[in-house]
Amino acid sequence: MKIYITGLGVISAIGTNVEENYQSLQEEKTGIEKIKFLSFDSVVLAGEVKLSNDALIEKMSLKNGFYSRTSLLGIVAAKESWGKNSLNQSIRTGIISATSVGGMDKSEKYYRQVLQKETTDISFILTHDSGNTTEKIAKELGINGYINTLSTACSSSANAIMLAARLIEQNKLDRVLVGGADALTQFTIKGFHSLMIYDNEWCRPFDENRKGLNVGEGAAFLVLENEKSIEKTGNKPYCIISGWHNAADAFHQTASSPDGKGATLAMQDAMKKAKINPNEISYINAHGTGTKNNDLSESVAIKNIFKQNIPPFSSTKSFTGHTLAAAGAIEAVFSILAMNNNILFPNLNFSQSISETELLPQTKLQQVENVKNVLSNSFGFGGNNTSLIFSKI
Amino acid sequence: MTSLKEDLKKQIIEQLNLEDVQVSDIQDDAPLFGGGLGLDSIDALELIVLLEKHYGIKITNPEKGKDVFYSINSMAEYITSPKG
Amino acid sequence: MYFIQAASTISHQPTFKNKSFSENISTLNTASELLSPDYKKYITPVMLRRMSKILRMSVACSVDCLEQTDIKSPDAIVVGTGLGCLDDTEKFLNNIISIKEGLIPPTSFIQSTHNTIAGQISLILQNHNYNMTHTQNTLSFEHALQDAFLCLDEGGENVLVGAADEHIEILDDIAEEIGYKNMQLTSGASFFIVSTKNNKNSKICVLNAASYGLFNSFSESLEDFFSASIPLLGKSKIDLGTIDLILFSTLQEKTKNEIADLFKGKSIVDYEKYSGTYFTNSAFALHLAIDILESGKNNFNGMTIDMKRILICNNLNSQNMGLILVEKVEA
Repeated sequence: MKIYITGLGVISAIGTNVEENYQSLQEEKTGIEKIKFLSFDSVVLAGEVKLSNDALIEKMSLKNGFYSRTSLLGIVAAKESWGKNSLNQSIRTGIISATSVGGMDKSEKYYRQVLQKETTDISFILTHDSGNTTEKIAKELGINGYINTLSTACSSSANAIMLAARLIEQNKLDRVLVGGADALTQFTIKGFHSLMIYDNEWCRPFDENRKGLNVGEGAAFLVLENEKSIEKTGNKPYCIISGWHNAADAFHQTASSPDGKGATLAMQDAMKKAKINPNEISYINAHGTGTKNNDLSESVAIKNIFKQNIPPFSSTKSFTGHTLAAAGAIEAVFSILAMNNNILFPNLNFSQSISETELLPQTKLQQVENVKNVLSNSFGFGGNNTSLIFSKI
Repeated sequence: MTSLKEDLKKQIIEQLNLEDVQVSDIQDDAPLFGGGLGLDSIDALELIVLLEKHYGIKITNPEKGKDVFYSINSMAEYITSPKG
Repeated sequence: MYFIQAASTISHQPTFKNKSFSENISTLNTASELLSPDYKKYITPVMLRRMSKILRMSVACSVDCLEQTDIKSPDAIVVGTGLGCLDDTEKFLNNIISIKEGLIPPTSFIQSTHNTIAGQISLILQNHNYNMTHTQNTLSFEHALQDAFLCLDEGGENVLVGAADEHIEILDDIAEEIGYKNMQLTSGASFFIVSTKNNKNSKICVLNAASYGLFNSFSESLEDFFSASIPLLGKSKIDLGTIDLILFSTLQEKTKNEIADLFKGKSIVDYEKYSGTYFTNSAFALHLAIDILESGKNNFNGMTIDMKRILICNNLNSQNMGLILVEKVEA
């Protein structure tokens, strides 16, 4: 059966909707810069969404309730993606989101009050749990029933998209609103600094001299539908999701295995699922965080599979920063934009290939004849690797 | 120097939460990594924190850690040697 | 049908490696503590030194589950957790707030992500298969179960599935601030192996599991659940009449009354008085149900009926309903 993508929504450092994001990608304009809207101790480069929390609340005409920034970003993208869809008894509909920080942007504040023995504002802690962010989105759109949240670090929303596809394929649901959201937090910025994998300059995915990642924030949602649902909704599909696979590295808590085992399994089996050969992949939207470890491991895996015929590949994290749990979904949207416009997005800040693997990413924006199948990778902390394949109908 | 090495061992046991390890279990010249202690890259980062916390020494490049943290001896030497 | 091949729980009750624990189980008293086994039997010191409560419990239960069967490598590892690794999250928060200048130790940051649980299990088992973590607060376990069943439907044979949550002191303060006084907040982990084949001649199977987020009404969800269960089991009828025991949890007085009304004449037991309160305690309820059905003597809670089918109703979060149906397999 075919699983169609009929809705797209995204908010990131490079735009507050699909059109703005696409524009920035075409202009090769990064959204990574010094943090301006959030008041953090550290002065770092990050992919911040260029709207304050108040501006987000106003944009969505929300009554001032307890919304974490993660929920706000999620609501923006979910609404854009959901568009004119409506609920219907005969279309079994669910929502799956993904997040790693949940409401931590608020909980950090609560915890600071506790530690510094100030009066605590309980509203700060009520939105902490991951599931809460998804419930907020579900409530905004009137969705009930199957409401779920996944949290597997950097592969989270890719896994959510995969789960949505599986639920539709196994005839549990007809239509799923699926994606992920993560806001910038001191917790994650300081966390990656403590691991010494945060680049204080602009990140350089796949470059020999890469020093680490820049954290980003954002959200993206897609609408997945089966044939029966599309017949009722009349939605026009962008493409299909043809392949997916999740594999564990089981190598180390934070490092991906140098032989790229988990990444190889994920890509290989996603192609098996899609019933396509490596030479049918038109473009890879890589995970490419800019860390020494991931970019090497991912390069090795790409070489394992594609051997001499490496398809054009790039990491768009040089535009958005590493949006953690939202990355899979944001990059799924970018992959679909690449496919629908027959365009390859550039891997910014690149100058020298990684010496061990000598791979050359796509460095310029390029119009090509046909982008037929796109492979999108999301490889997470703790060795959780997921690859998705989107294909033209 | 002996008491520095002994201090180092105590600090390492504490920082890395090596509950079942005694100071006497750690040989001065034995490799800390790839040996019996089972230390990994996360521990290497914790040792960088330890150096800064107890000795005010900053290592900004984690790759440099490989030489410095080879053994107790190499750590002690690094701490006591003059730095430019 | 999804057969239970193994079950393992670490909790505030003597549940670990204690078959038939349901026969002598008593209500938790307020001073109850987590009953931890000797973790060194299950986890190497090198890994153990970094593990908080939630990780130790989950890994030990998982290893125990595998020891109960011949399975070396499950086709999937699926975990549910409501609040994840709180101890390490708190540790790291403490560090970033108190360490103004200087480096912050990274270990607690690494250990704080929700999927550390499933990740550590895959590391210990050297398992490269599907690995997932569900975090939908009180429905996390029901979602993990549904995902595990999907894996089996897709061709898998054995899935390791479970849930865990850990208690830290600040939760007591928060609970009080929100208005829940005298809540017994606890920790717990329950893991299971579910399979399509009944290799161990298992006596118990899980018929169906479902989650209803922001649900409209009890009866609507129940009706939907029962009608969805029918085709799965090739039965012609499943309704309240065929249920012997309802294990439920809710914090709302009015829901307790609603349940009593809906299930008039049935045995209804509040499982929270045994498990204590934590987001994924419905996993404890599943092990309790399995143990009751397996014991044969059925002395649970002073009941002596011959039980065949148990329904677990999880309404711990008043907006959400989790339902699990468990049955004793016919000989």
